Amino acid sequence: MYRYDTFDQQFVDERVAHFRSQTERYLAGELSDDEFLQLRLRNGLYIQRLAPMLRVAVPYGTLSSRQLRMLAHIARHYDRGYGHLSTRQNMQFNWPELAEVPDILADLATVQMHAIQTSGNCIRNVTTDEFAGVAADEAVDPRPYCELIRQWSTSHPEFDWLPRKFKIAISGADDDRAAVNVHDIGLLVRRRDGETVFDVLAGGGLGRTPVIGLLIREALPVRHLLTYLEAIMRVYNRFGRRDNKYKARIKILVRAMTAEGFKARVDEEWAHLKGSPSTLTDDQVAGMEAHFQPPEYPERPGATAALAADRLKDADFARWVRHNVSPHKQAGYAIATLSTKETGTPPGDVSDRQMEAVADWAEAYGLGEIRISHQQNFVLPDVGQDQLYALWQAAQAERLAAPNRGLATDIICCPGGDYCSLANAKSIPVAEAIQAQLEDYDYLHDLGELDINISGCMNACGHHHVGHIGILGVDKKGREYYQVSIGGHSGNDASVGQIIGPSFFRDDVPRVIRRIFDVYLAQRVEDESFLHCVRRIGVEPFKVEVYAKAA
Amino acid sequence: MPKLLKLIDDANGTSNGATNGTPPQLEPAGQWTPESGKGIELSVDAEIEERFLAAPAIGIEFPAFNDGRGLSQAVLLRSRHGYQGDLVATGAVQPDILHYMRRCGFSAAVLPNGDVPDQQTLAPYSDYYQACATEPEPVSRRIGRGASNIPT
Repeated sequence: MYRYDTFDQQFVDERVAHFRSQTERYLAGELSDDEFLQLRLRNGLYIQRLAPMLRVAVPYGTLSSRQLRMLAHIARHYDRGYGHLSTRQNMQFNWPELAEVPDILADLATVQMHAIQTSGNCIRNVTTDEFAGVAADEAVDPRPYCELIRQWSTSHPEFDWLPRKFKIAISGADDDRAAVNVHDIGLLVRRRDGETVFDVLAGGGLGRTPVIGLLIREALPVRHLLTYLEAIMRVYNRFGRRDNKYKARIKILVRAMTAEGFKARVDEEWAHLKGSPSTLTDDQVAGMEAHFQPPEYPERPGATAALAADRLKDADFARWVRHNVSPHKQAGYAIATLSTKETGTPPGDVSDRQMEAVADWAEAYGLGEIRISHQQNFVLPDVGQDQLYALWQAAQAERLAAPNRGLATDIICCPGGDYCSLANAKSIPVAEAIQAQLEDYDYLHDLGELDINISGCMNACGHHHVGHIGILGVDKKGREYYQVSIGGHSGNDASVGQIIGPSFFRDDVPRVIRRIFDVYLAQRVEDESFLHCVRRIGVEPFKVEVYAKAA
Repeated sequence: MPKLLKLIDDANGTSNGATNGTPPQLEPAGQWTPESGKGIELSVDAEIEERFLAAPAIGIEFPAFNDGRGLSQAVLLRSRHGYQGDLVATGAVQPDILHYMRRCGFSAAVLPNGDVPDQQTLAPYSDYYQACATEPEPVSRRIGRGASNIPT
């Protein structure tokens, strides 16, 4: 993984001093609330319903054991003993004291971490495939380019005061696990004729206007990556709307200009920037790629046979392997997903003790690296196949062994009205109520692959538009209601879900979801997935069932 | 009293916090003529015209401190149009934005209430990642962060 050089370290150390001085100026009354708001947001600090919330950057979701132990320390020392894995692969702390935040940042800086640009109208943490670098279906490891973009976007002179937040995701695998279609910029990295190239999508997004990104350039050579991004950012910074925050994202601009018009404007800008000093040299690219070379994998003779034997002897383990273990590039190794979605625990919440345990397992059963997935789970990317059984046993004791990756209980859920001051409605109790009626594993398994996504408001942190079933909290005259959509998807063939009809009370949501399941189970053909069934039969049969009986 | 803050020290290109007191005289672009001897004040969304480049000073008026369009205007004036005169940030100039302004090519800013910020606010970082108006090359080209320089 990437390790800071002296320049990176100097920059984050200076960032700590800078933010400390901004906090002191605010506390001394030298900065207004409005000024400090903008400054603290550029360092991941929100003032929430109950307390400040600090969002720590986990660049492209990658952590070392040492870094995760520091996050556990922060949870214990400055917070209430837990943190929250976000849908942008970051970690959030819900209870820090404002005056202590500079100390938290100083602690983070000792392990090459920060909270820079994790909120605010600027370029946010670049996200990618949680299996980057190890997935069997990967064509190009996207992490070197994530890091190049992270550095280029950090305190950029021109692009830190944008009309609205800006999110970039990169995928280099056959199966898009990074949701590139619904990002402000989505990048698909490929190797063509020996050259690393990018297909560039622009103007995707969720929020109030969910849309799929449009392809504006194919096969952009890696050396031009940053100058081309600069061209896009400049067009957006100059022409993106600033009069209405709901129309300020780049997706609105792209559609106002049309894809062709936007592309032409970007190309015009790029003509001036192409070849400028931001052009990447071969040495810069090679130097960054060297940071992400595969580690020396010790050979594991007999590991695959040992795993097969372990699966035969323990059906519960076999079930976990089936759902939570994914194929690795390297023979004898596997990728293990440690689900945070045990019923009764808010999705994505992890205790300091669990963080310490995961950090230990990453060293004992892996090569000391951990990932955070945008589905809010931990991933251990390099587990010996013969070590999976021991890992699974340890994970059970820490409630991180739910065999539900990609199933209906692996719910993606924002913190919602329990914590977030933007939320219109709570989301965690809805997730719990849905999980509670899926306790029967055979039923859950029979439903198969099913993404349920819950957002407590239109900001769509729970990515409800791209859930196979999406649930959105809405406020109607001070009461919490929930709108249900179906048919969304965030992978290669991404789609935005369709709302099935009028919204429901919270207590009705589990029953509504159950009826949607009923329609699927009755209508599916052979082993057709939920998503394919919805795409084939449309929304109507679901609507009829849900509303006929609810009336 | 509004005060002019120099963002570029002529000798080394860095901020020195020096003020020379009086903001330049600026006229709106629509009224300005080269003969006036005055500078031009541009809005953040004005199209830049070649005739403006003869002005001894160009002011860019920030409508709000968190509106980044003025930063792009400055970059375009310096890099695209090669403007060599004084480039002055006016309007809602907030002290924490000054280090961005300097890197985008502003040579000065008008501080609305005349309070000169401390050095920490003026120059919070000793270096940055990107190329910019005051630094033609990105850091990775200047200090050798390539394949040969991975820390062990």
